[in-house]
Amino acid sequence: MSFRNGAPVDTRAPGHEAENSITQNGFKITTQKLPILKAAPIEEMTKQLGITPPEMIFGDNFARVDHVASGWRIEFNAFDALDRVDKTGDSMLKVSYSKEWQQNRQKQFEDIKEVVKPFDWSYSTDYKGSTPDTPKLEPTTKPIPLELLKRPDPILFFDDVVLYEDELADNGIAMLSCKIRVMPARLLLLSRFFMRLDDVVFRIRDTRVFVEFATGEVIREYTAREEKYEVVRKTLAGTKEDVLAIMRDPNRLAEYIPIVEKTTDTVKLK
Amino acid sequence: MSSGGCDLDKAIQQLRACRPIPENQVRELCHKARELLIEEGNVVGVDAPVTICGDIHGQFHDLMELFRVGGDVPDTNYLFMGDFVDRGFYSLESFLLLLCLKVRYPDRITLIRGNHESRQITTVYGFYDECLRKYGSANVWRYCCEVFDYLALGALVSGAATSLVPTDGPMAENTNLDNFPDSDADIEIETLNANGEIMYRYARNSDSQSSQPNSNPASSSPIAPTPSRVGPAGTGATSSANGSVKNDTGAILCVHGGLSPLIDTIDKIRLLDRKQEVPHEGAMCDLLWSDPDEIEGWGLSPRGAGFLFGADIVKCFNYKNDLSLIARAHQLVMEGFKEMFESTIVTVWSAPNYCYRCGNVAAILELGEDGSNAGYQRRSNGDQGGGGGGWILGSNDGSSSNMVGNGNDRRLSSVLGDNMQRTRDGPGRRYRVFEAAPQDSRGMPAKKPVADYFL
Repeated sequence: MSFRNGAPVDTRAPGHEAENSITQNGFKITTQKLPILKAAPIEEMTKQLGITPPEMIFGDNFARVDHVASGWRIEFNAFDALDRVDKTGDSMLKVSYSKEWQQNRQKQFEDIKEVVKPFDWSYSTDYKGSTPDTPKLEPTTKPIPLELLKRPDPILFFDDVVLYEDELADNGIAMLSCKIRVMPARLLLLSRFFMRLDDVVFRIRDTRVFVEFATGEVIREYTAREEKYEVVRKTLAGTKEDVLAIMRDPNRLAEYIPIVEKTTDTVKLK
Repeated sequence: MSSGGCDLDKAIQQLRACRPIPENQVRELCHKARELLIEEGNVVGVDAPVTICGDIHGQFHDLMELFRVGGDVPDTNYLFMGDFVDRGFYSLESFLLLLCLKVRYPDRITLIRGNHESRQITTVYGFYDECLRKYGSANVWRYCCEVFDYLALGALVSGAATSLVPTDGPMAENTNLDNFPDSDADIEIETLNANGEIMYRYARNSDSQSSQPNSNPASSSPIAPTPSRVGPAGTGATSSANGSVKNDTGAILCVHGGLSPLIDTIDKIRLLDRKQEVPHEGAMCDLLWSDPDEIEGWGLSPRGAGFLFGADIVKCFNYKNDLSLIARAHQLVMEGFKEMFESTIVTVWSAPNYCYRCGNVAAILELGEDGSNAGYQRRSNGDQGGGGGGWILGSNDGSSSNMVGNGNDRRLSSVLGDNMQRTRDGPGRRYRVFEAAPQDSRGMPAKKPVADYFL
């Protein structure tokens, strides 16, 4: 066992098996789930990204679909997702009580004005997965065939992989995770970024990847939703629902948050 | 419920089995706890030996594991640095058990406040919902919140030993004995696993870096060796510039979050009016919320609220207040603990597999009792604003090192002999690292995700 300032660096909590995989009709589906990164790899990642990674960074985790014959693949991992987070601070949000906090502080400490390493600390990403340059996904108007996915076909493989999560210093939550289910004839992968900044804003950014094994058709849909916290709260207050519970559940929240961006693209693999 | 009586022992027994106690008992317990806590200052004085613990977050079974690893109350003297509640599934049982133990053995357990011990935060992050679910009303939550307002803001540990009495235990598997210091060496750091087996030992002043971090080629770690600056750095301060003279260690300040620009002496913490909800601003807020960071001086968090503080701030504060170490919690660390700024501050994290999914280990920090320096007169805290003419920190040219060079307080230097260019030796530190308790089936998330027809 090796150490870093007295702390063991290779501890691993039990109950975490690393890789899971299944091959179905020429597509290999792999997920990996490991504990959050340790101090040394976090430092390495910080250097490479140029921003502080989220508090819970599952840097070894991924979900991947490989098309064995063509070598094409789509992978979802934390590093690539975080690489698309704004690193300049241009789209930086502020916590709800920031104004109040700063007004009082600035009078007291005129010398402490510098914001340390500004970046989008909500870790909002428009990540749609990592793919090779060729063959390229091209825009399409054809939607993912939901009816085929509503059928109760047997699920041969299922996993839910968290890529990162941050509690926004107890001001809400930011979380990127991937769900995948593989049926005999097709698969669906959903990568979801969910962010709630308390009293400020909600964001849900979904990337869905659909693969029809027989035809080699891949459809990728990206849907971004966003709404002000207060607007959502007011809408929910008018319902008989448990407002706090819904605000924690992106599945139920989605219908209360309007779509602000949607793109669809596709590729046919041979 | 009579204090110290068998009712209290019954309640402790029931809570140890993770069963909540009736509402009327909670009310009585909270009332007693308040009477006790109101007598405590904002900064509680604690004598070593003591075992310092970080965030618990309602992970009751892991708290039980902590007691198994660290020893039971009252055999072991404990100091918990807050964040007892929220996130985990058993905030109620965890907090009430700690509170019962506090009322039963007030001198053997110290509880200080974390940022989660607040009405506002608990309504969002689980404790409120849990109370409502388990009692059908918010009364118990309300009683607990009233106790939160009386929790101390910090603790000051005195009488800690500079070196550890080496654990006379077996070596953990994979421990590289070549790296171990001699048996007569002055042990500064020791890391033990949950079975009490020695995983790591570091001698003070050892030039050879007896246990060079990451140097073990047999390690199964997939991680590349860390760059040299992070390897031995954590212990660098204490291993440099010091002869063989054994010094008394300074006191150890324990707070949940960190320092505040409004607080330059511990006495200023003592003057705060703490009996209130955690405010959004001011020194009390900072003590519970701020974080150390690799910066110079003070900085603002990019979130628009909250302070960050650098190594120079910690070193100045420690010097001025005659501290050898600040122990804090508040931030998740994979390894269970993390020493920063040449071991002048340490983060201790005591919730293994945080939120039942992070896979991190937890740690507790044991400080031994100083037997060798009984006659030493401890300097009272904060009465003399530093000084120590000629004393130089690694980076004291920043604007914040205002205490350097008034040169009229020579006491520290006389203690240290000729060497004035260093801060106090840190206390001997024994870290016990442990993993999550085997999870039971009640309400725990299944390890295998349940397949669902998501769209």
